[in-house]
Amino acid sequence: MSLLEVKDLSVEFPSGENTVKAVSHVSFEIREGETFGIIGESGSGKSVIGLSLLRLLPANAKVSGRVFFQGQDLLSLKPSELRKIRGKKISLMPQNPAGALNPVLKNGLQIEEVFEGNRDEKKEGMKKALELMKQLFLRDPEKLCTLYPHQLSGGMRQRLTACISLSFEPEILVADEPTKGLDPEAKAGAVDVFTKIKTEYKKTMLLITHDLDLAFEVCDRIAVMYAGEIVELDQASKVLSTPLHPYTKGLIQAHPRNGLVPLSGQSPSRIKLPEGCLFHERCRYSDVECSIKHPEIKYYNGGLIRCHFLSLK
Amino acid sequence: MKYFLKKAGFMAFTVFAVCALTFFLMNVIPGGTAELILKHTLIGLEESATEEQLIQFSSRYNLDDPLYLQFFSWVKEAVLRGDMGTSYVYKKPVIYLLALRLPATVQLAGASMALAIVVGVSLGIYSALQENRISDHILRIITLFGVSMPGFWVALILILIFSLKLKLVPVSGYGNLENMLLPAAALSLHSIASIMRVTRTSMLETLGQEYIRFAKAKGLPVWKIISRHALKNAMLPVITVIGFQTGSLLGGAVVIEKIFAWPGIGGLLVDSISARDLPVVQGCVLAIVTMYLLVHFLVDMLYTHLDPRIRYG
Repeated sequence: MSLLEVKDLSVEFPSGENTVKAVSHVSFEIREGETFGIIGESGSGKSVIGLSLLRLLPANAKVSGRVFFQGQDLLSLKPSELRKIRGKKISLMPQNPAGALNPVLKNGLQIEEVFEGNRDEKKEGMKKALELMKQLFLRDPEKLCTLYPHQLSGGMRQRLTACISLSFEPEILVADEPTKGLDPEAKAGAVDVFTKIKTEYKKTMLLITHDLDLAFEVCDRIAVMYAGEIVELDQASKVLSTPLHPYTKGLIQAHPRNGLVPLSGQSPSRIKLPEGCLFHERCRYSDVECSIKHPEIKYYNGGLIRCHFLSLK
Repeated sequence: MKYFLKKAGFMAFTVFAVCALTFFLMNVIPGGTAELILKHTLIGLEESATEEQLIQFSSRYNLDDPLYLQFFSWVKEAVLRGDMGTSYVYKKPVIYLLALRLPATVQLAGASMALAIVVGVSLGIYSALQENRISDHILRIITLFGVSMPGFWVALILILIFSLKLKLVPVSGYGNLENMLLPAAALSLHSIASIMRVTRTSMLETLGQEYIRFAKAKGLPVWKIISRHALKNAMLPVITVIGFQTGSLLGGAVVIEKIFAWPGIGGLLVDSISARDLPVVQGCVLAIVTMYLLVHFLVDMLYTHLDPRIRYG
């Protein structure tokens, strides 16, 4: 059963006289209990999707489409209604935990403020949060609460933001590049944290990442994004081991473990998108058709793919 | 503790340097001190003093001693006995004159500062929240006028409108709240505008930070995001400007007090300079410098209170 359904989501940012098409016509659903991954290179629009679900984009962003959650369209909800969902039912684990924690407020307050209501409810919530901190490999959580964010290490801050996002027991956790900017050891720690969230807490997650290792460890299904579009969507194991789309193939070959073969060329300008397939200029398999006709996304072998090459096979 | 000692030493040195500078500069001004004092006290401005009167006056106040000796005897008296000398004109101890006049100045400067902080900060926040809307533009144009118009001119315009035309408040006087309105308004206008501008800029910068987005993602209400997360971070540059504004406020007070016949040290200082009443000038400058330094010390202390990352060692 799908818990969150994104239908035809597009996001544009006005930039002078032009508009930057950050996300175009993206549709997917997240099923209850699964971890849905969105992967793609920087600037492919992954993070914008994550932020648009909770309407956290800057005010100048033009968002269209629908995001259904428990029968409500999040994009047309009243601000007061939206506030009840933010952090409580759908919570965001931000990228860059160093920037997401307020430098002038104590860690304890930054956890506690998620809980609203009277003192007892807050206390109860804090108790759960402290328990959660222990389980997420943070030692001595009571003391951590009395410290400021700058007194923690990068890995600790990462786990602390994870804790803040999870402490209200949301139904969906949106993790926005949780391993960005972490050193290898903290990265490995993050994989443990997410595995734990998935297996022990059985949380539904939307994991936005360009860390293929993390995606491989945690995700059930994966959508691959290129230039604001989903180009491939299937079971994680299928996408990462036998990719179909030429871009996914390139992405996986570019991983250090698979030989660090870089993709040639650059992703297209998002102000003026190329004709035909957005990837055809960089694609090894591209044909005449690819430069003329924009491929629609279609079902193939249980997944979805946006490629003409498929028909040639 | 070590920091406080260092700071106190530095402040003492600053006070000493300012006193020395005032003393020697006052003696550089053309025109003999004894002659001018005599004209202001004994014989009237049109008459010229006799040789005998000059010698008598000079020897009474040791005005024939070398300047450095005069200065050091003044410092010695001030430091050892707290005696800042006797006014040549009023024939009263400088301490007594200051004690008489200082409260009025502190009142006026304090009221102006309070007005500037309250109005400046709240309009700055409002302007930032209304970024690029009509009310923001209007406020920014008004502040442009505010920082550009000199205080003494504003004072005259205010008197013209509110006292002479509308007859709402008295032109000058001291004692009632209504006497304070115009001088405080004229004095604080420049500070209001400066504080508002820096609050707006700083607030906008803070509102774009990641921790504000994370606070929104937690589902916090807008007022809590502003008051708890944004304000404390945005206040650092603002209190720096407030510190500097105290200086211009005290300086401005000298002129404004003269215009409104406000019985503060400003009027005393201006009269004493033209009468070459050196001990009084020294005393006034000393009082102003000390107040300025104390405010700056307070600002430094506030930094550590606002931002836990700032530590003085």
